[in-house]
Amino acid sequence: MSLTTAQRGKIRRLSQPRELSPDEEGGELNIVPFLDIVVNILIFVLATVAVTFTASIETAPPASKGAGVRAEIPQEALNLTVFIVNDGFSLKAAGGNIAPGCQGTGSGIAVPKVGATYDYATLTGCAARLKGSSPEFADENQAYITANPGTDFQTIIAVMDALRATSAGDVLFDNINFKVSR
Amino acid sequence: MSQPTGPGAAGATPPRASVVTYKAELRKAIRRNAHDPEVNFLNITAMLDIMTIILVFLLKTLGESSAAVPQSDDLRLPASVIKTQPHQEGVLVTISKTQILVGDDKVLSLPGRESLAQAGVDARHKRGGPNDLFIVPLGNALMSARKTDVAVRRAKGLDPSSSEAIIIADKNTPYRLLIEVLFTLGQSEFGKYHLMVIQSKKLGG
Repeated sequence: MSLTTAQRGKIRRLSQPRELSPDEEGGELNIVPFLDIVVNILIFVLATVAVTFTASIETAPPASKGAGVRAEIPQEALNLTVFIVNDGFSLKAAGGNIAPGCQGTGSGIAVPKVGATYDYATLTGCAARLKGSSPEFADENQAYITANPGTDFQTIIAVMDALRATSAGDVLFDNINFKVSR
Repeated sequence: MSQPTGPGAAGATPPRASVVTYKAELRKAIRRNAHDPEVNFLNITAMLDIMTIILVFLLKTLGESSAAVPQSDDLRLPASVIKTQPHQEGVLVTISKTQILVGDDKVLSLPGRESLAQAGVDARHKRGGPNDLFIVPLGNALMSARKTDVAVRRAKGLDPSSSEAIIIADKNTPYRLLIEVLFTLGQSEFGKYHLMVIQSKKLGG
Protein backbone atom coordinates (compact mmCIF):
# COMPACT_ATOMS: atom_id res chain seq x y z
CA MET A 1 0.00 0.00 0.00
CA SER A 2 1.39 3.34 -1.00
CA LEU A 3 0.85 6.69 0.62
CA THR A 4 -2.00 8.85 -0.46
CA THR A 5 -1.51 12.39 -1.73
CA ALA A 6 -2.82 13.79 1.51
CA GLN A 7 -0.40 11.66 3.48
CA ARG A 8 2.50 12.74 1.28
CA GLY A 9 1.54 16.39 1.71
CA LYS A 10 1.35 16.01 5.45
CA ILE A 11 4.73 14.27 5.56
CA ARG A 12 6.25 17.06 3.45
CA ARG A 13 4.82 19.68 5.77
CA LEU A 14 5.87 18.01 8.99
CA SER A 15 9.37 17.09 7.85
CA GLN A 16 10.43 20.71 7.12
CA PRO A 17 12.99 21.98 9.67
CA ARG A 18 11.50 24.38 12.12
CA GLU A 19 12.51 28.01 11.54
CA LEU A 20 13.99 29.73 14.58
CA SER A 21 12.17 32.75 15.83
CA PRO A 22 14.21 36.01 15.95
CA ASP A 23 14.43 35.68 19.73
CA GLU A 24 16.07 32.29 19.45
CA GLU A 25 18.51 33.24 16.72
CA GLY A 26 20.60 35.57 18.88
CA GLY A 27 23.52 37.62 17.56
CA GLU A 28 21.47 40.61 16.67
CA LEU A 29 23.86 42.82 18.73
CA ASN A 30 26.59 43.99 16.39
CA ILE A 31 29.67 43.94 18.51
CA VAL A 32 32.20 43.99 15.68
CA PRO A 33 33.03 47.74 16.04
CA PHE A 34 33.42 47.28 19.78
CA LEU A 35 35.71 44.33 19.16
CA ASP A 36 37.79 46.43 16.77
CA ILE A 37 38.27 49.10 19.40
CA VAL A 38 39.14 46.60 22.12
CA VAL A 39 41.70 44.85 19.92
CA ASN A 40 43.30 48.16 18.96
CA ILE A 41 43.55 49.32 22.56
CA LEU A 42 44.97 45.96 23.58
CA ILE A 43 47.70 46.10 20.94
CA PHE A 44 48.49 49.71 21.80
CA VAL A 45 48.77 48.95 25.53
CA LEU A 46 50.97 45.91 24.91
CA ALA A 47 53.25 47.89 22.59
CA THR A 48 53.56 50.76 25.08
CA VAL A 49 54.36 48.45 27.99
CA ALA A 50 57.05 46.68 25.99
CA VAL A 51 58.82 49.94 25.16
CA THR A 52 59.12 51.50 28.61
CA PHE A 53 60.57 48.92 30.91
CA THR A 54 61.86 50.70 33.97
CA ALA A 55 64.13 49.53 36.75
CA SER A 56 65.46 51.03 39.96
CA ILE A 57 68.96 51.18 41.42
CA GLU A 58 69.24 51.25 45.18
CA THR A 59 71.54 53.59 47.01
CA ALA A 60 71.94 55.31 50.38
CA PRO A 61 72.39 58.90 51.56
CA PRO A 62 75.61 60.51 50.32
CA ALA A 63 78.59 60.89 52.62
CA SER A 64 80.34 64.22 52.82
CA LYS A 65 83.91 65.03 53.83
CA GLY A 66 84.79 61.36 53.69
CA ALA A 67 82.48 60.51 56.55
CA GLY A 68 78.99 59.15 56.42
CA VAL A 69 76.55 56.48 57.36
CA ARG A 70 78.45 53.63 55.74
CA ALA A 71 78.82 50.21 57.22
CA GLU A 72 82.05 49.55 59.05
CA ILE A 73 84.83 48.87 56.63
CA PRO A 74 87.55 46.42 57.66
CA GLN A 75 91.17 47.51 57.56
CA GLU A 76 92.00 45.31 54.61
CA ALA A 77 89.16 46.64 52.48
CA LEU A 78 89.75 47.91 48.96
CA ASN A 79 87.52 50.92 49.62
CA LEU A 80 87.33 51.85 45.95
CA THR A 81 86.31 55.37 45.00
CA VAL A 82 85.74 56.46 41.41
CA PHE A 83 86.12 60.17 40.65
CA ILE A 84 84.34 61.19 37.47
CA VAL A 85 86.36 64.10 36.12
CA ASN A 86 86.37 65.89 32.81
CA ASP A 87 89.23 63.77 31.40
CA GLY A 88 88.00 60.35 32.49
CA PHE A 89 87.82 58.25 35.64
CA SER A 90 90.29 58.68 38.44
CA LEU A 91 90.33 55.73 40.83
CA LYS A 92 91.42 55.65 44.42
CA ALA A 93 91.74 52.50 46.50
CA ALA A 94 93.18 51.58 49.89
CA GLY A 95 96.72 51.63 48.50
CA GLY A 96 96.37 55.10 47.03
CA ASN A 97 95.58 56.63 43.67
CA ILE A 98 95.54 54.13 40.80
CA ALA A 99 98.04 54.98 38.05
CA PRO A 100 97.01 55.39 34.42
CA GLY A 101 96.44 52.04 32.73
CA CYS A 102 95.21 50.62 36.03
CA GLN A 103 98.70 49.34 36.88
CA GLY A 104 99.92 50.02 40.42
CA THR A 105 99.64 53.31 42.21
CA GLY A 106 100.60 56.71 40.98
CA SER A 107 99.17 60.05 39.99
CA GLY A 108 97.06 60.64 36.92
CA ILE A 109 93.77 59.53 35.42
CA ALA A 110 93.43 55.74 35.70
CA VAL A 111 90.89 55.38 32.90
CA PRO A 112 91.12 58.35 30.51
CA LYS A 113 88.43 59.24 28.01
CA VAL A 114 88.59 57.71 24.55
CA GLY A 115 88.06 60.64 22.27
CA ALA A 116 85.17 62.53 23.82
CA THR A 117 83.49 59.58 25.52
CA TYR A 118 84.08 57.87 28.81
CA ASP A 119 85.59 54.38 28.59
CA TYR A 120 83.18 52.27 30.64
CA ALA A 121 84.53 48.90 29.46
CA THR A 122 88.05 49.72 30.68
CA LEU A 123 86.60 50.95 33.98
CA THR A 124 84.87 47.59 34.44
CA GLY A 125 88.12 45.79 33.64
CA CYS A 126 90.05 47.98 36.07
CA ALA A 127 87.50 47.43 38.87
CA ALA A 128 87.62 43.67 38.25
CA ARG A 129 91.43 43.69 38.35
CA LEU A 130 91.48 45.68 41.62
CA LYS A 131 88.90 43.42 43.22
CA GLY A 132 90.82 40.33 42.14
CA SER A 133 94.15 41.69 43.36
CA SER A 134 93.65 40.22 46.81
CA PRO A 135 91.42 37.42 48.12
CA GLU A 136 90.45 39.72 51.00
CA PHE A 137 88.51 41.92 48.57
CA ALA A 138 86.43 39.05 47.20
CA ASP A 139 83.44 39.71 49.47
CA GLU A 140 83.59 43.48 49.17
CA ASN A 141 80.64 44.87 47.24
CA GLN A 142 80.71 48.51 48.24
CA ALA A 143 82.23 51.28 46.17
CA TYR A 144 81.88 55.05 46.05
CA ILE A 145 81.33 57.51 43.30
CA THR A 146 82.10 61.18 43.34
CA ALA A 147 81.94 63.51 40.39
CA ASN A 148 82.41 67.01 39.15
CA PRO A 149 79.37 69.14 40.00
CA GLY A 150 78.39 69.35 36.33
CA THR A 151 78.52 65.61 35.61
CA ASP A 152 75.18 64.48 34.27
CA PHE A 153 73.03 61.79 35.86
CA GLN A 154 73.30 59.50 32.82
CA THR A 155 77.10 59.28 33.23
CA ILE A 156 76.70 58.47 36.92
CA ILE A 157 74.24 55.67 36.17
CA ALA A 158 76.58 54.32 33.47
CA VAL A 159 79.49 54.29 35.96
CA MET A 160 77.28 52.45 38.46
CA ASP A 161 76.49 49.92 35.73
CA ALA A 162 80.17 49.56 34.84
CA LEU A 163 81.14 48.93 38.46
CA ARG A 164 78.24 46.56 39.19
CA ALA A 165 79.28 43.56 37.13
CA THR A 166 81.57 42.40 34.37
CA SER A 167 80.26 41.70 30.89
CA ALA A 168 80.42 38.00 31.79
CA GLY A 169 78.01 38.63 34.66
CA ASP A 170 80.43 38.40 37.60
CA VAL A 171 79.30 40.76 40.34
CA LEU A 172 81.89 43.38 41.29
CA PHE A 173 80.43 46.22 43.34
CA ASP A 174 76.64 46.20 43.52
CA ASN A 175 76.40 48.57 46.46
CA ILE A 176 77.35 51.99 45.12
CA ASN A 177 77.15 55.10 47.25
CA PHE A 178 77.82 58.73 46.52
CA LYS A 179 80.46 60.91 48.08
CA VAL A 180 80.69 64.66 48.10
CA SER A 181 84.02 66.35 48.00
CA ARG A 182 83.87 69.76 49.59
CA MET B 1 -25.07 3.44 -17.75
CA SER B 2 -23.87 2.57 -14.42
CA GLN B 3 -20.64 3.98 -12.77
CA PRO B 4 -17.91 1.51 -12.03
CA THR B 5 -17.72 0.93 -8.38
CA GLY B 6 -15.23 -1.90 -8.03
CA PRO B 7 -11.72 -1.58 -6.73
CA GLY B 8 -10.20 -1.75 -10.19
CA ALA B 9 -12.37 1.00 -11.55
CA ALA B 10 -10.74 4.08 -13.14
CA GLY B 11 -10.54 7.18 -10.80
CA ALA B 12 -10.82 5.15 -7.65
CA THR B 13 -8.67 6.38 -4.68
CA PRO B 14 -5.81 4.09 -3.88
CA PRO B 15 -6.00 2.37 -0.56
CA ARG B 16 -4.54 4.34 2.38
CA ALA B 17 -1.18 3.16 3.69
CA SER B 18 -1.11 1.84 7.17
CA VAL B 19 -0.20 4.10 10.07
CA VAL B 20 3.07 2.21 10.51
CA THR B 21 4.10 2.88 6.92
CA TYR B 22 3.04 6.51 7.22
CA LYS B 23 5.12 7.07 10.37
CA ALA B 24 8.11 5.30 8.86
CA GLU B 25 7.90 7.55 5.81
CA LEU B 26 7.55 10.63 8.01
CA ARG B 27 10.63 9.71 10.04
CA LYS B 28 12.60 9.13 6.84
CA ALA B 29 11.51 12.50 5.43
CA ILE B 30 12.45 14.31 8.65
CA ARG B 31 15.87 12.66 8.59
CA ARG B 32 16.32 13.57 4.95
CA ASN B 33 15.40 17.22 5.45
CA ALA B 34 17.31 17.66 8.67
CA HIS B 35 20.56 19.54 8.22
CA ASP B 36 23.12 20.94 10.58
CA PRO B 37 22.18 24.33 11.95
CA GLU B 38 23.85 27.07 9.95
CA VAL B 39 26.57 29.08 11.65
CA ASN B 40 25.07 32.42 10.82
CA PHE B 41 26.98 34.27 13.52
CA LEU B 42 30.20 33.59 15.40
CA ASN B 43 29.79 33.35 19.14
CA ILE B 44 32.64 35.55 20.31
CA THR B 45 31.24 36.40 23.72
CA ALA B 46 33.75 34.19 25.51
CA MET B 47 36.67 35.70 23.63
CA LEU B 48 35.34 39.16 24.31
CA ASP B 49 35.16 38.39 28.02
CA ILE B 50 38.78 37.31 28.05
CA MET B 51 39.99 40.28 26.07
CA THR B 52 38.13 42.78 28.20
CA ILE B 53 39.58 41.25 31.35
CA ILE B 54 43.11 41.34 29.89
CA LEU B 55 42.62 44.95 28.84
CA VAL B 56 41.38 46.03 32.27
CA PHE B 57 44.22 44.12 33.93
CA LEU B 58 46.87 45.69 31.70
CA LEU B 59 45.51 49.20 32.14
CA LYS B 60 45.42 48.75 35.91
CA THR B 61 48.99 47.38 36.00
CA LEU B 62 50.23 50.16 33.78
CA GLY B 63 48.54 52.82 35.85
CA GLU B 64 49.91 51.54 39.14
CA SER B 65 53.44 50.81 38.04
CA SER B 66 56.20 53.37 37.84
CA ALA B 67 56.43 52.54 34.18
CA ALA B 68 53.92 55.33 33.89
CA VAL B 69 56.72 57.85 34.34
CA PRO B 70 55.93 60.52 31.81
CA GLN B 71 58.69 60.97 29.27
CA SER B 72 58.95 64.46 27.91
CA ASP B 73 61.64 66.94 26.96
CA ASP B 74 61.55 68.17 30.53
CA LEU B 75 62.09 64.73 32.03
CA ARG B 76 63.91 61.87 30.34
CA LEU B 77 65.11 58.99 32.48
CA PRO B 78 68.68 57.76 32.16
CA ALA B 79 69.31 54.34 30.64
CA SER B 80 70.83 51.46 32.56
CA VAL B 81 71.63 47.81 31.90
CA ILE B 82 70.20 46.80 35.28
CA LYS B 83 67.34 44.30 35.07
CA THR B 84 65.73 44.61 38.50
CA GLN B 85 62.04 45.31 38.89
CA PRO B 86 61.25 48.95 39.67
CA HIS B 87 60.54 49.58 43.33
CA GLN B 88 56.96 50.64 44.01
CA GLU B 89 56.91 51.69 47.65
CA GLY B 90 58.20 55.07 48.71
CA VAL B 91 57.84 58.80 48.44
CA LEU B 92 58.20 59.99 44.87
CA VAL B 93 60.75 62.76 44.32
CA THR B 94 60.95 64.05 40.75
CA ILE B 95 63.81 66.20 39.46
CA SER B 96 63.04 67.52 36.01
CA LYS B 97 64.99 70.12 34.06
CA THR B 98 62.90 72.95 35.46
CA GLN B 99 61.45 71.88 38.80
CA ILE B 100 61.52 69.54 41.78
CA LEU B 101 58.35 67.74 42.84
CA VAL B 102 57.49 65.67 45.88
CA GLY B 103 54.64 63.36 44.91
CA ASP B 104 52.58 65.53 42.58
CA ASP B 105 53.34 68.81 44.32
CA LYS B 106 55.86 71.23 42.94
CA VAL B 107 58.25 72.44 45.63
CA LEU B 108 60.87 74.38 43.72
CA SER B 109 61.60 75.90 40.32
CA LEU B 110 65.11 75.31 39.07
CA PRO B 111 67.40 77.77 37.29
CA GLY B 112 69.30 76.88 34.11
CA ARG B 113 71.70 73.94 33.97
CA GLU B 114 74.85 76.11 33.97
CA SER B 115 73.91 77.65 37.29
CA LEU B 116 72.86 74.28 38.75
CA ALA B 117 76.11 72.62 37.68
CA GLN B 118 78.19 75.20 39.54
CA ALA B 119 76.42 75.78 42.82
CA GLY B 120 73.22 73.76 42.70
CA VAL B 121 69.98 75.37 43.80
CA ASP B 122 69.90 79.12 44.51
CA ALA B 123 71.60 80.07 47.79
CA ARG B 124 68.38 81.66 49.06
CA HIS B 125 66.76 78.22 49.13
CA LYS B 126 69.64 76.70 51.11
CA ARG B 127 69.83 76.46 54.87
CA GLY B 128 73.37 77.78 55.29
CA GLY B 129 74.40 79.63 52.16
CA PRO B 130 75.56 78.58 48.69
CA ASN B 131 77.86 75.77 49.86
CA ASP B 132 75.23 74.05 51.97
CA LEU B 133 73.53 70.98 50.52
CA PHE B 134 70.20 71.22 52.34
CA ILE B 135 67.37 72.61 50.18
CA VAL B 136 64.88 74.18 52.61
CA PRO B 137 61.63 74.05 50.51
CA LEU B 138 62.35 70.42 49.63
CA GLY B 139 63.13 69.63 53.27
CA ASN B 140 59.80 71.13 54.37
CA ALA B 141 57.86 69.14 51.78
CA LEU B 142 59.71 65.97 52.74
CA MET B 143 58.95 66.48 56.43
CA SER B 144 55.25 66.42 55.71
CA ALA B 145 55.67 63.46 53.32
CA ARG B 146 57.67 61.67 56.01
CA LYS B 147 54.83 62.08 58.53
CA THR B 148 52.40 60.47 56.14
CA ASP B 149 54.89 57.76 55.25
CA VAL B 150 55.47 56.89 58.91
CA ALA B 151 51.73 56.23 59.30
CA VAL B 152 51.68 54.21 56.07
CA ARG B 153 54.69 52.14 57.11
CA ARG B 154 53.20 51.49 60.56
CA ALA B 155 49.95 50.36 58.94
CA LYS B 156 51.87 48.03 56.65
CA GLY B 157 53.94 46.63 59.50
CA LEU B 158 57.22 48.07 58.14
CA ASP B 159 59.98 49.71 60.14
CA PRO B 160 58.91 53.36 60.56
CA SER B 161 62.34 54.60 61.69
CA SER B 162 63.35 55.52 58.15
CA SER B 163 61.50 56.01 54.88
CA GLU B 164 62.31 55.13 51.30
CA ALA B 165 62.27 57.48 48.35
CA ILE B 166 61.91 56.85 44.65
CA ILE B 167 64.01 59.33 42.71
CA ILE B 168 62.88 60.11 39.18
CA ALA B 169 65.55 62.38 37.77
CA ASP B 170 66.22 63.71 34.30
CA LYS B 171 69.30 62.19 32.68
CA ASN B 172 70.95 65.60 32.38
CA THR B 173 70.56 66.43 36.07
CA PRO B 174 73.95 67.68 37.29
CA TYR B 175 75.67 65.69 40.07
CA ARG B 176 75.62 68.72 42.36
CA LEU B 177 71.82 68.98 42.27
CA LEU B 178 71.42 65.22 42.67
CA ILE B 179 73.64 65.23 45.75
CA GLU B 180 71.74 68.19 47.21
CA VAL B 181 68.44 66.35 46.80
CA LEU B 182 69.85 63.10 48.22
CA PHE B 183 71.44 64.97 51.13
CA THR B 184 68.14 66.74 51.91
CA LEU B 185 66.38 63.37 51.79
CA GLY B 186 68.96 61.95 54.19
CA GLN B 187 68.42 64.83 56.60
CA SER B 188 64.66 64.22 56.41
CA GLU B 189 64.97 60.64 57.68
CA PHE B 190 64.89 58.97 54.29
CA GLY B 191 67.47 56.19 54.48
CA LYS B 192 67.09 54.35 51.20
CA TYR B 193 66.72 55.64 47.66
CA HIS B 194 65.64 53.98 44.46
CA LEU B 195 66.96 55.71 41.36
CA MET B 196 64.55 55.13 38.49
CA VAL B 197 66.10 54.26 35.15
CA ILE B 198 64.96 52.89 31.82
CA GLN B 199 66.27 49.47 30.93
CA SER B 200 68.66 49.44 28.03
CA LYS B 201 70.88 46.81 26.43
CA LYS B 202 73.82 49.14 25.96
CA LEU B 203 76.00 50.55 28.74
CA GLY B 204 75.73 54.30 28.93
CA GLY B 205 72.44 54.41 27.07
